[in-house]
Amino acid sequence: MSEEVILSLNGLVIGYDHPLVKPITLDVHSGEIIAILGPSGIGKTTLVRTIAGLVRPLEGSFELRVKRRGGLGYIPQRLGLVRHATVAHNVSLGARLNVGWSKTMFKERKEKTYDAIRKLGIEEKASEPVRRLSGGQQRRVATARTLAQRPQLMLADEFLGELDQTNVNIVLGAVHELVENGTAVIMIEHHEDNAFDFATRIWEIRNERFFDMSIEEWKQQQSKGEEE
Amino acid sequence: METTTIEGGGGMKYRLFGILLFLLFLAWTTLDGLVEGDWGRLEGGLSNLAVFFEESMWPPNWSVLEARSYPVCEQDIEFFCSVGYLGMMETLKIAFVSTILGFVGAISLSSLAARNLMPLYISLPVRIFLSAVRSLPSLIWAILFVIVIGFGPLSGVLAMTFYTVGYLGKLQYEVFEGMPNDPLEAGRAMGLHRSSILLNIVIPENSNHLLSQLMFMFEYNVRHGTVIGIVGAGGIGYYIHTYLKFLQYDKVFALLIIIFVVVVLIDLLSLAIRSFVNEEGDVRKPTWLNMLIQARKRKSLDGLAATPPQLLWPRWYR
Repeated sequence: MSEEVILSLNGLVIGYDHPLVKPITLDVHSGEIIAILGPSGIGKTTLVRTIAGLVRPLEGSFELRVKRRGGLGYIPQRLGLVRHATVAHNVSLGARLNVGWSKTMFKERKEKTYDAIRKLGIEEKASEPVRRLSGGQQRRVATARTLAQRPQLMLADEFLGELDQTNVNIVLGAVHELVENGTAVIMIEHHEDNAFDFATRIWEIRNERFFDMSIEEWKQQQSKGEEE
Repeated sequence: METTTIEGGGGMKYRLFGILLFLLFLAWTTLDGLVEGDWGRLEGGLSNLAVFFEESMWPPNWSVLEARSYPVCEQDIEFFCSVGYLGMMETLKIAFVSTILGFVGAISLSSLAARNLMPLYISLPVRIFLSAVRSLPSLIWAILFVIVIGFGPLSGVLAMTFYTVGYLGKLQYEVFEGMPNDPLEAGRAMGLHRSSILLNIVIPENSNHLLSQLMFMFEYNVRHGTVIGIVGAGGIGYYIHTYLKFLQYDKVFALLIIIFVVVVLIDLLSLAIRSFVNEEGDVRKPTWLNMLIQARKRKSLDGLAATPPQLLWPRWYR
């Protein structure tokens, strides 16, 4: 795994009007897969939205060392898809950030779009409006958009929720491809099983406290808890 | 048996009904104040209208669909030289051009005026500008342009375009502000440029509303083409004004029927266009015609005459 730091949190305090968690200081390296765990309403989404630049931190700061355009991929809880546009249009929003200005940009953009669509197994739906797709298919579209974008840091808010195992495997396969190319992934996850199989690092928010641990440390903690 | 009473369940309904009654009472007293209690003038109003309609307007004079005496008609079909056709076509052309130009102007300005797309220091001045443009009715714009560039359809086009920008601009920025936030947030976090967010997220996401507003504005401009024609800005309104001057109300009535038919046709066209982008279009309801065609096909097959009605719906519906 490369040791390049792509995100640094320096005493970051998150929240809208009052602090949700005590100050967080840590680094995220490329290729890491971080699962954020914790009960509902504890501040997981606020943390991800803060890193995405959508919420101002109450205190402290964070430094994102990614490209300004297209360096950050974000899948919000409600996926952020353009419902009245086609699947191909939605995925091309990611591809356009991955292709620079050139004579062949439109061709390249199209190739990257359809490549991502094929990898997520939704080629038959490419020209259908997103609103006609099922929840699982829409999640695959959102993942294809990020895959076509190839960001350095991917933020995902419960994007595996409500998916059956087949869809989880398809989506995680695509995310693995990104990680192999050095993308760091920070994802909010409600199902601990997914975190167990997939993540390399766990962030857990509990009682306004933030815990940062490797997957091994977290597994040990879990097994200790079960023994007790 | 123990029963549970849920209190306050119907309270809201009665409260709303009470508010409605109060508003009606308020409207009545305001109206009474406006007419200064003199309701006597309404007496015989209906019979006056009936006499006016019977003597002056009925039957509509369809000579407006015959060729004008001057200039000489060079078309094979006389209808194409008629006041009704020429006037309506000019009104439609004025409405079409001004709706398209106004739409382009409105969408550029409304994207600057929407609070969820632009900071306050940009959106506020643009909103004030749109309010200023909108505060002048199309008739005043028409008078203004007739003074500046003279009589004719160009004054009509400019008047309608300005009014369309003001009116449509407001409708559009309100639609943009009401759209879900998550596609915008995803686009911003990904690093999409503002113009790219507008073209690739905001406009496609609101395409149904935008099309609906565009068609409404076209219909509005056709209807108002009659008004601005009165001040000399071209279209069917010019002829209505002329016939009114000469008290030819039967011809005015015929032209009004033509306008009504065109407005209904535009409404049907709007329905057809919007069915491509709205969610109702995804689950099309069968028309009676479709059901009858299917029923005839089924009857020709042995043993299927008693097919339940839901199976008579066309295959693409099921």
